[in-house]
Amino acid sequence: MTDVTPQDIEALVGIFDSSGWDELRVVIDGLELYLSKNPDDRGGLHAAAARAAGPAASGDAGSRVREPVREPTGEAPAPALDIPAGLVAIRAPNLGTFYRSPKPGAPPYVALGEAILAETEICLIEVMKLFTPVRAGIAGRVRRILAEDSQLVEFDQPLFLIEPAG
Amino acid sequence: MLRRILIANRGEIALRIVRAARALGIESVLAASAADRDSMAAREADRTLVIGPAPARASYLDARLIVHAAKVGGCDGLHPGYGFLSERQSLARLCAEEGIIFVGPSADAIAAVGDKLAARRLAQSAGVPMVPGSGRLDSAQEAIAFAGEVGFPVVTKASAGGGGRGMVVARNAADLATGFERAAAEAREVFGDGTLYVEKYVERARHVEVQVMGDGTGNIVHFGERDCSLQRRYQKMVEEAPAIILPDETRGRLHQAAVDLLAAISYRNAGTVEFLYDVDADAFYFMEVNARIQVEHPVSEMITGTDLIQLQLRVAAGDALPIDQRDVTVRGHAIEARILAEDPGRNFAPSPGRLTRWRPPQGPGIRLDTAMEEGVVIPPFYDSMIAKLIVHATDRQQAVALLLDALERFEVAGVATNIDLLRALATHPDFIANRLDTRWLETVLLPGYGQR
Repeated sequence: MTDVTPQDIEALVGIFDSSGWDELRVVIDGLELYLSKNPDDRGGLHAAAARAAGPAASGDAGSRVREPVREPTGEAPAPALDIPAGLVAIRAPNLGTFYRSPKPGAPPYVALGEAILAETEICLIEVMKLFTPVRAGIAGRVRRILAEDSQLVEFDQPLFLIEPAG
Repeated sequence: MLRRILIANRGEIALRIVRAARALGIESVLAASAADRDSMAAREADRTLVIGPAPARASYLDARLIVHAAKVGGCDGLHPGYGFLSERQSLARLCAEEGIIFVGPSADAIAAVGDKLAARRLAQSAGVPMVPGSGRLDSAQEAIAFAGEVGFPVVTKASAGGGGRGMVVARNAADLATGFERAAAEAREVFGDGTLYVEKYVERARHVEVQVMGDGTGNIVHFGERDCSLQRRYQKMVEEAPAIILPDETRGRLHQAAVDLLAAISYRNAGTVEFLYDVDADAFYFMEVNARIQVEHPVSEMITGTDLIQLQLRVAAGDALPIDQRDVTVRGHAIEARILAEDPGRNFAPSPGRLTRWRPPQGPGIRLDTAMEEGVVIPPFYDSMIAKLIVHATDRQQAVALLLDALERFEVAGVATNIDLLRALATHPDFIANRLDTRWLETVLLPGYGQR
């Protein structure tokens, strides 16, 4: 898990904006941030599709910079991930933006190692400012958190790995 | 110029848009359902986002999901293709609110032509001839009174949509009384709006339509007309361009009517104005406007040498039309046959499954628009059209011969298709002699084909 917050990204964008640099690439754990001031820059979009995580931000005219977008994890994200024996994936019900907390600054719905029930709300998926809570659907313990906060997730993408209770 | 577009569609048209975009240096992000994540369009697009599960309702028909994908995918434009959400005002409006260029008409223009009664008012004010028709009717009694004025037969139509839904032909008052209720119920179910109107029914009609492109400044160019009379249950199966049944003078007036109608609203985007042509009276009547690219656009591309999807992308971005009417010249004759994964022997039941053999014909004058390849599975969730076979030759006779040759060399196995039916069509004396009307396929070809 990365500890990078949206505020950190904002700060980075600010530094980049006021700098004389043409581009900036930062990789922290699973997060990759690519900023560019070149309006023709495609931000590595073509190459990125094959990588597990990559940039999709391309600079518009001037220096407006988009937040990085998590690339799909390959052609078939679901089977591409090896789910360890004994763990069960909770998957995204549709494409959207993934949020671990009910609102900015609030603690996450669930933490690593936490025990959950089937009806426990574990995250939010946002589609056009409509925030829909996702329920675990299974009782157990959170063993891995696979999606990054405020990042794009696709339909069926594994979000959490749960060790079922019992 | 657009920089990166989201393609909110699937199948051959998604692939067609990916390639048109690429030719213009525009990147493409494909919004695909889970069933289409490995499709040809997904492979050729710069990026694919799986937006939802296979059923269209939870993927291709969810406007908010699609616009969200466009935003997070960094797209500045959105191409809806045909079908699905392509003519929904709500999608055009949502795009406008989010600063995404909708590759289509403005939401207001969709409203002006999308509702059939509104479109009739527009046609009337532009001086375009129309079949005698009523305004909205609230009861079968009102419909019968109207039929008394214009004479039977008449046909009911749904104000909110097309595709044959809500349409019932009535030849007397008793038919109309029962047909009206049936049509209203169907319209309510399919479109969520049971509003009907009634028109005089032309017995021997051809379906002709004019392909136009507008740049939003009142500048409209047409790309000739198509004859789409070969239909089953109001679904087109074979389309041709030009419509050689038309006398030249009538053709000129037809083109002008289409241009006038859309110039009146400074239409932007590809559009089609559909007309009913009464062969016996040499008269045409306005039917409706399709405010999108259509399935059969390739025949117009073939005879005019134009890439209509590329033009669509250019005018959407605010470019003026790069050509004027004098630049459009019609050359030869083109025919498109829709290849459907349907079984004509089982009342055209959809026939999804794995394509164990797929060897389409190739050669001069043959174009195939498809996203199929050998070994793929045709999913059961969507439209059954798997390819469009388009031929282009110097005249209709040679185009018909080329069509038959291409159909005979088309090898498909694994799923049932209509290819054999299309071969029967291409060899039928009525088709060869162009003695056709909108009911010929159902009343002549299909019964004869079934008896073989």
